[in-house]
Amino acid sequence: MGLFDRFKAKEKSRRVVLIGLDGTPCTLVERFIKDGTMPNMAKLCAGGSLLQMDTSIPDISSVAWTSFMTGANPGRHGIYGFLDVQPNSYKIYFPSSRHIKSETLWAVANRAGKRAVVINVPSTYPAQPLDGILVAGFVAVDINKATYPATLVPRLQAMDYRIDVDARKVQQSHDALMDDVLVTLDRRVKLLLELYDKEPWDLFVGVVTETDRLQHFFMDAIADESHKYHSAFRDFYRRIDAFLGQVAERLKDETMLIMSDHGFTPIKQQVYLNRWLVDHGYLRLKENARSIEEIGDGSRAFAMDPGRIYINVKGKYPNGTVEPGDVARVVAEIKEGLAEISDNGARVVKRIYERDELFSGPVVNLAPELCVQSHYGYDLKGAVNKAQLMDREIFTGMHTQDDSTLYINSPASALRSEKPHITDVAPTLLAGLGLGVPETMDGRSMFR
Amino acid sequence: MEGKGLTLWFTGLSGAGKTTLARLVETELRRRGHKVEVLDGDVVRTNLSKGLGFSKEDRDTNIRRIGFVCNLLARNEVIAIAAAISPYREIRDEVRRDIGNFVEVFVKCPIDVLAERDVKGLYKKAIAGEIKHFTGIDDPYEEPLAPELVVETDKETPEQSAARIIARLAELQYTAASASAAADAYSDEEEAEVRRRLEALGYV
Repeated sequence: MGLFDRFKAKEKSRRVVLIGLDGTPCTLVERFIKDGTMPNMAKLCAGGSLLQMDTSIPDISSVAWTSFMTGANPGRHGIYGFLDVQPNSYKIYFPSSRHIKSETLWAVANRAGKRAVVINVPSTYPAQPLDGILVAGFVAVDINKATYPATLVPRLQAMDYRIDVDARKVQQSHDALMDDVLVTLDRRVKLLLELYDKEPWDLFVGVVTETDRLQHFFMDAIADESHKYHSAFRDFYRRIDAFLGQVAERLKDETMLIMSDHGFTPIKQQVYLNRWLVDHGYLRLKENARSIEEIGDGSRAFAMDPGRIYINVKGKYPNGTVEPGDVARVVAEIKEGLAEISDNGARVVKRIYERDELFSGPVVNLAPELCVQSHYGYDLKGAVNKAQLMDREIFTGMHTQDDSTLYINSPASALRSEKPHITDVAPTLLAGLGLGVPETMDGRSMFR
Repeated sequence: MEGKGLTLWFTGLSGAGKTTLARLVETELRRRGHKVEVLDGDVVRTNLSKGLGFSKEDRDTNIRRIGFVCNLLARNEVIAIAAAISPYREIRDEVRRDIGNFVEVFVKCPIDVLAERDVKGLYKKAIAGEIKHFTGIDDPYEEPLAPELVVETDKETPEQSAARIIARLAELQYTAASASAAADAYSDEEEAEVRRRLEALGYV
């Protein structure tokens, strides 16, 4: 509103900054503060609060970041994974920003006349128009569709901006992947700081994805000081810390938050839930099936990454076999069976949630009947073409649900004492902007 | 049907939600494969109509200019969305007469609700006399007599209003009746790339 901009500029309001570090565990930040790897983070914490945070279940980026940006649970926002199944066909689709059913944090801020710069938040592709700037993160493909407004694209290209690390580099070598991680981080930081400095904004959201990529492939390196990549891992976090320092030195009176969307821990085993369902007679797949699209007759359940289990209900799916009245019985049976899975005597499954325990809202009908949560080290997978229940692949790190990071540049006395949940971040940012929590959000501001 | 140009004109008081609705409708129309441009009255005032003030004459000139550009766009198969207070009925009707394929949406919200909401404190300033020529306070607003659609932004959410606008456009045969005609977010080629990237991280 051009006429009004003149007046708006005179109004004094506190800006808010959120820096996202995809997949950075709170316990790792604490360790790196103690051992001197992250001196800037240490300084920030001296004047603020570092909190361990719970994230969404499932604890993967698409669900977690959407829960962050909407302040809502998947029953409201509609994103349950990187992949989903169309009930009328079993056809796999990849949910995009267009599938998000509830309002984003920046839309709420825009409505109050606050301009937003939103860079590299996963699950924002294709970029939706807003008052401000948005460059979408994972899984963005085409920079033109990832960027709003389009006039920003030449600037991104001139800076050699990269949307993502090419994780396929690991096929060449771990060195090649590490190089790619570092270059991508460098370009990302350049863009974040440039837009921070040169764009007008009230709400700045900038996410670094490289942390997650590093940890998927190098998580074993941090525990083991003799590991070839141990110092490279630490050096990478020194760079992250330097970036946080660059943001910190720009702060005037802004509210500043740092967060991760989930934690990470080393993998002991990958666990293929569809293998278990096949072995226990719940799932039949066509020969050489590569995905759930090739589900066979007589199947009662199937699993999707990471620990989502869907009952093949008659009337819901074309090949459904379970009568709606029988769903509760099948659910109970599967829960009992999964709880028994063990790896050399160690329990694999920590807890199994039923739909109603986790989700509520207008799109709860899209939710899986069960969400399985594993103990640390057992990475639940949805692959269908596995010959055994457990195996190791190239990945060395897996996500955790209860060890996300939340930093707020306010003393603990100004904050609620409950453990934060990822849906609390958007209400906290809105509170920083002087705005209330819309009814569409489940979370609460962390400010007292 | 695709490719038929038109001018979609939002009129209403400051803060009623014209820009918000223009952006929502723009997004949906693009998703459906239409070419779309938004001419936001406030943005236009910083370039096309720079220097014009808020007298009736200047306001009329501003609206004629927006109408002129909308017409150029619409005849090139673009859906031109104008979001401008456009308070005077006569000039809106003149634009409608001159350019054809014109759909007028009255973005209605009672002034007391707007003054109460007053997100930017402008109504307060206008009421205090600190801003002159403020529509609805010391300048008139003439409601349309026969708009193609009225949306009441104090009674419906922006998403509901946008959905009603799309439905009306479908009724008038400017866009497809169902969103399933709309393109998917990912093209087949992109979908293959998404799958490869998810595979590389172990999600597929």
